[in-house]
Amino acid sequence: MNLPAPEILRGTLDLLILKALSWGPSHGYAVARWIEQSTNDALAVGEGTLYPALHRLEERGWIAASWGTSENNRQAKFYALTRKGRTQLRAETASWQRYATAVFAALDAPALN
Amino acid sequence: MPRWTRFRKLFGLEPKGDVDAEIDFHVEMRIRELIDDGETPERARRRALQRFGDLDRTRRELMAINQRRRQRMDRAEFLTELKQDLGYAVRMMRRTPGFTAAALVTLALGIGVNSAIFSVVNGVLLESLPFRDAERLHVVQMLYPDGTRYTSLSAPDFMSVRAEARVFEQIEAIDQRNVTMLGAGEPREIEAAFVSGGLFDMLGFTIATGRSFRPEENKPGQSQVVVLGHGLWQGVFGGDPSVLGRSITSAGISYTIIGVAAPDASLPDAVEAYFPIEFGPTYDANTAQGRRGEFLTVLARAGTDANDATIDGDLKRIGAQLQSAFPDSNDGLTFTSRPLREFMIGDVRRPLYVLFGAVGFVLLVACVNVANLLLARGSARHGELSVRAAVGAGRARLIRQLVTESMLLGLIGGALGLGLAYWSTQALIAARPADLPRIDDIRLSTTVVMFTFGLSMVTSLIFGLVPALQVTNRHLLLGLQESGRGGGGGRRMHRLRSTLVVAEMALAVILLTGAGLLIRSFIALTQVNPGFQPGGAITLRVTLQGAEYATADQVRNRVDQLLTRVRELPQVTAVGVGSILPLGGLGALNDFAVEGAPPPPPDVNQEIAVAGASPDYFKAIGAPLIRGRVFTDLDQPKSPSVVLLNEAAAKKWFPNQDPIGRKVLSSSPTPREVVGIVGNVLQRTPGEPAVAQMFLPYAQRTGRTIRLIVRTNGDPMAMASAVREQVRALDPNLPLAEATPLADVVSRSVARPRFYTSLLTLFAAVALILSATGIFGVMSYAVAQQSKEIGIRMALGARAADVLRSVLGRAVGLAGLGVIAGIIAALGLGGFLRSQLFGVTIFDPATLGSVSAVLLLSAALASLLPATRAARIDPIRAFREV
Repeated sequence: MNLPAPEILRGTLDLLILKALSWGPSHGYAVARWIEQSTNDALAVGEGTLYPALHRLEERGWIAASWGTSENNRQAKFYALTRKGRTQLRAETASWQRYATAVFAALDAPALN
Repeated sequence: MPRWTRFRKLFGLEPKGDVDAEIDFHVEMRIRELIDDGETPERARRRALQRFGDLDRTRRELMAINQRRRQRMDRAEFLTELKQDLGYAVRMMRRTPGFTAAALVTLALGIGVNSAIFSVVNGVLLESLPFRDAERLHVVQMLYPDGTRYTSLSAPDFMSVRAEARVFEQIEAIDQRNVTMLGAGEPREIEAAFVSGGLFDMLGFTIATGRSFRPEENKPGQSQVVVLGHGLWQGVFGGDPSVLGRSITSAGISYTIIGVAAPDASLPDAVEAYFPIEFGPTYDANTAQGRRGEFLTVLARAGTDANDATIDGDLKRIGAQLQSAFPDSNDGLTFTSRPLREFMIGDVRRPLYVLFGAVGFVLLVACVNVANLLLARGSARHGELSVRAAVGAGRARLIRQLVTESMLLGLIGGALGLGLAYWSTQALIAARPADLPRIDDIRLSTTVVMFTFGLSMVTSLIFGLVPALQVTNRHLLLGLQESGRGGGGGRRMHRLRSTLVVAEMALAVILLTGAGLLIRSFIALTQVNPGFQPGGAITLRVTLQGAEYATADQVRNRVDQLLTRVRELPQVTAVGVGSILPLGGLGALNDFAVEGAPPPPPDVNQEIAVAGASPDYFKAIGAPLIRGRVFTDLDQPKSPSVVLLNEAAAKKWFPNQDPIGRKVLSSSPTPREVVGIVGNVLQRTPGEPAVAQMFLPYAQRTGRTIRLIVRTNGDPMAMASAVREQVRALDPNLPLAEATPLADVVSRSVARPRFYTSLLTLFAAVALILSATGIFGVMSYAVAQQSKEIGIRMALGARAADVLRSVLGRAVGLAGLGVIAGIIAALGLGGFLRSQLFGVTIFDPATLGSVSAVLLLSAALASLLPATRAARIDPIRAFREV
């Protein structure tokens, strides 16, 4: 946590949210926790970024919100992936992989001569 | 209920609470996690909040997103519902084709006549004149001692005004007259404007090909150029672009074509060709000569800071200057002006607005009718609407659905109306009185289409809202059954429908009264004694111009030959020539004085209308000689000067005296002897009494443009070709206008009143038919609803005649209320019509009586069918149906 966290790339957060919801509906806190844990908090996604992203995804119709009861019996807003969101997740995952592969390939490439 | 609550189903809580709850939950979960990790509660809370960052900003951001999303959903929902409503509306329209057709025809009529009249009002009154700085253009006029105006100025007066005026930036003149045109196909007469050099520039008159006039082309000897009007160029020269440089001949002078006007270029009066005025010796601000020969229309552009008062003051100042400089000619005379717009359209504004108001009433009647139809259908749809209310549609939602249906009706009706307007505008233009100004500006422009669209929407609201409010009343929403036929709700509905019928009857009465008054005026106008015999004669205009007619003697000889030849034709009983026709205007105005009489009071016009006439002119037009003699063949140029006066002149200048043998002075130093008095002949319109007029022998006042009048004891039009042949035989180069029956001058003189009267009558008839349909609908509905009640009454011994009488009585009672309300309103509105009335006042018992009778009768007729239906009700069946 001492190193400055890299600026999260535009669109990457959306992808991570969609991925977090791909195993089933969950509330915003769970999404935040999953991103923190799975990235070792390296991306430093603050709540001030996460929640607007969630609401925007809802606005776009990729995820749907409904109120439900949390694991500790509290009213919480649950987000679930819609069909449109699932399609989007597949498309963005594939595109990310292509992108990363390309960048890594370049990083591994021999020097200019 | 506030709007957002409908989103409760989506968010579970209100939006603000929703966002707060979500954030609170998050923070709480974080605190719990930190406590689980071993923090103290206070530290955990602090760290959780710290980690979250700016809570308020996030909250605001989330609210903004949700807000946006909600609006989008609102819109989407609105559109979905609109689509639903429209689909539903279309199904309803299909399911009740009779209702739909009746409503659409009514609306198309109501909206169509409005669009048509609006296109006239817009084209003639509202759109700006097609001239540069049109609102600053004025017409300079002569002002006479008695306050009358004359639109023409003399050449020297024009030059004086032009030299002296300070309020005007530019002053130009038009001399409009007919000229002969030779050198392009058949010899023909064309309407020509002789203009001063700057006129085109001042009006923004554009030349399509060639050039405009140069200033020096107003100088004598340099004016032999012509600019063709676009229509003449198309019609006579076939739109030939090589026409420039060719020449045409008029009055023996050859004019070189230097330009062709643009298609939309025009002067206040339409003409076919434009020539420069040749500024002869009288075009001099300092000359005393020719000051009382007025023939120039003078247009002027006021400076930007000028107003009516400064313009009038300036013109009066010039008038006073001329009065002292030229007392012989300008004594008592001065100048005034009118805005060009007023000059062109001033006298049609009132009648057009009256017509516009009339079609507004027609539309109101149409609205009332459709509202009545909707109310009737509303009761039929009661069940369907209750079901929708029961499954949760709120009143607003139901009203919206009903109004959407009305809007659809209104828009389709409006589209049909636009079609009707297009067709009827063409008909209007074809039927217009020839002198309605700006007729070419009447068209279905974008403005008219927008007007129609707006009118359709407003109309839909007017006729849709009341029924929508009524049929979705609280009984419906509370799920209460309207308590049977004739119950409280039904009775209230019936009362509303009756009120609407009374209203439309009243509107119809207003229109019928207006139409009735105009019809009475029109009849009165046509019954005015014209002072001549319009039937049995034809008239033909001949213009004698060219090298063969250089002198007055040559003209006179040719006219004598013509008269002799035509007189010898079979069946001709009289033939005459004159400078003017009856109802053809006043012609020239000259100063006038009686020799030896004291000068008349200063507020009396010392002017008289002057015309030339051949000996048989009066016999040919059929005007009587009252005293003395008419002209004879002995009244020649060299013989003593003689004149005839009309009765008006005799009365004005010789009250209680015998004018015969007296000497009069008029535009010549030689006194003329009065030899006879002829009857007054109408000069302008039948509504305007004949003014003082003086006739001179044609031989002593020879003009080149003559009106030939041929009276016959056979079919006058059959004479036309024989007369034309005689003219052709004398000179094949003479341009000949079409021969027309003399009676045409009469019908032309009442063309405007006939136009307004026919339109208003048409609108009144539409309103009458619509309101009759309305009362028919209401009575049919009432009879259907009360069949049980009627059945009981018949079972208790009422006879069919009693039932019939009771239904008819109610219809006539409603109509009677409408008549009373309508007459009161009509009398109140009558003032708008006053200027159009002739020989009748707005309190005209005959009109009011017949209008009332027509309305009551039509109400009775319209309810005859429902009444007979009621009288045939079988009591047994009526009970069974309950």
